[in-house]
Amino acid sequence: MSSDPTTFTWWLLPLLMALLTGAMGGVAGPLLVVRRRVLHSNLIAHAVLPGVALALAAGIEPLLGGLASGVGVTWLAERLSSRRLADDAGQEVVANTLLAASLGLGVLLIQALDGDVDLNSLLFGDLLTAGPADLLRAAIALGLLLILVCGRYQQLVFLAVDPEGAAAAGLPVRRLQQLLSLATTLVIVSGMAAVGLILAIALYSAPALIGLRTAASLRGALGRSAAIGMAVGGFGLSLLLDSPPGPVIACLCVPLLLGSAAAPHRGRG
Amino acid sequence: MLQVQGVSYRYPGKASPAVLADVSCSLGPGSLTALLGPNGAGKSTLLNLLLGQLTPSQGRLLWSGQPMAPRRPRLALVPQRSAIQWQMPITVRDLVALGTLAAPADEPRLAIAEALQSMGLASLADTRLSQLSGGQQQRALLARALVQKADLLLLDEPFTYLDPPTRQQLLAVLRQQACGGRIVLVSSHDWGDSLQGYDRALLLDTTLRADDRPDRVLERLQRP
Repeated sequence: MSSDPTTFTWWLLPLLMALLTGAMGGVAGPLLVVRRRVLHSNLIAHAVLPGVALALAAGIEPLLGGLASGVGVTWLAERLSSRRLADDAGQEVVANTLLAASLGLGVLLIQALDGDVDLNSLLFGDLLTAGPADLLRAAIALGLLLILVCGRYQQLVFLAVDPEGAAAAGLPVRRLQQLLSLATTLVIVSGMAAVGLILAIALYSAPALIGLRTAASLRGALGRSAAIGMAVGGFGLSLLLDSPPGPVIACLCVPLLLGSAAAPHRGRG
Repeated sequence: MLQVQGVSYRYPGKASPAVLADVSCSLGPGSLTALLGPNGAGKSTLLNLLLGQLTPSQGRLLWSGQPMAPRRPRLALVPQRSAIQWQMPITVRDLVALGTLAAPADEPRLAIAEALQSMGLASLADTRLSQLSGGQQQRALLARALVQKADLLLLDEPFTYLDPPTRQQLLAVLRQQACGGRIVLVSSHDWGDSLQGYDRALLLDTTLRADDRPDRVLERLQRP
């Protein structure tokens, strides 16, 4: 179901969707940046495309398709880079190859489905086609993300600052990594209507960097990053330019990055 | 008592050479031991085996006479500097408080305050980790390890970039921990003056080349 531009509240649903997506990206971003998992989350963003395309064509919940292909490709990447390609260069090559292959497979599937799925709106977002189901999905994803962060906050902080020490202390490091990957997949698929799949990465990176550089705690960084994410949701500018929100948000993140480089580090709490 | 019995390790793959070969030693409670060896000698591999991150290809690890895998001692690790995310927004107090995750204390605030005090960091408790000097950062990590109240305290190259007075200060704290009944094992490239602070030194170079008093191991190292 789409928003109806003829009603006076046509803007409400897309606006809420943009705010929720900004908040989701802002909360997930610092967790990914401190764990150096930005490339990994970009891989997930591309990996969900084949599953989402198939699910949409089959008329089932796209989140399920996205989770299936996102988890599958992540598993494959971890298998490939766990042994002979375990060094940084090997992992980078594995991630980027699978990322490109996932995008390629997604495009081929959408072509084969003969127009049933709109590739552009999947890749770059289309706020005006967002419906209540998209909003509900995003709200649930944000809720689950917040439950993960609140319930496991100390463990996530330990994992972020010292993963080896966390493993030695007996923390469930592997399970935490899996939960983070699952949450990332959920957030990316849930935000696709607002920002698209492949440009979502900008929303997880630049706001997070500002939050991390200026806050005295991870909690503070999550809050600041979420606020910035919501502010650059790109809703207004996207409408003004009559452009999909993904490219607008990605471009808005560049000044943020410059601001982040200029922002002073916070010293005392 | 920690016992390493005939432990060998080689990375998966038919052609890979042994990183550790037939290493045996025992470490008792209250001991402060240096684990020495050049780069690639297998020091980090041995620590990873003790941490349960790797499984021996041969041999076994025992804790109080039982296999370590199911019967895991309480472990604390101070890793190499490169493993820490120093830019993480976290204060010294919050970093030290993470130790209570591994060992919930009756009075966590008191345990944290004592650890900060013993490492001379009380006045820096609310400072962000990234704002500390290298020596202060190392002391903050050690303070967290103290809060963990581990049976086995492992430190991987903890003295890198530290000046001699700071090394001596950290060694004194490690000595206190050993006196409290813990097993303290310190992996180090440094076989200079500070080696005298240990009870024992293990010299590793794939095999265990020496297991003796530090002065005797030093003599052996200085022989042409």
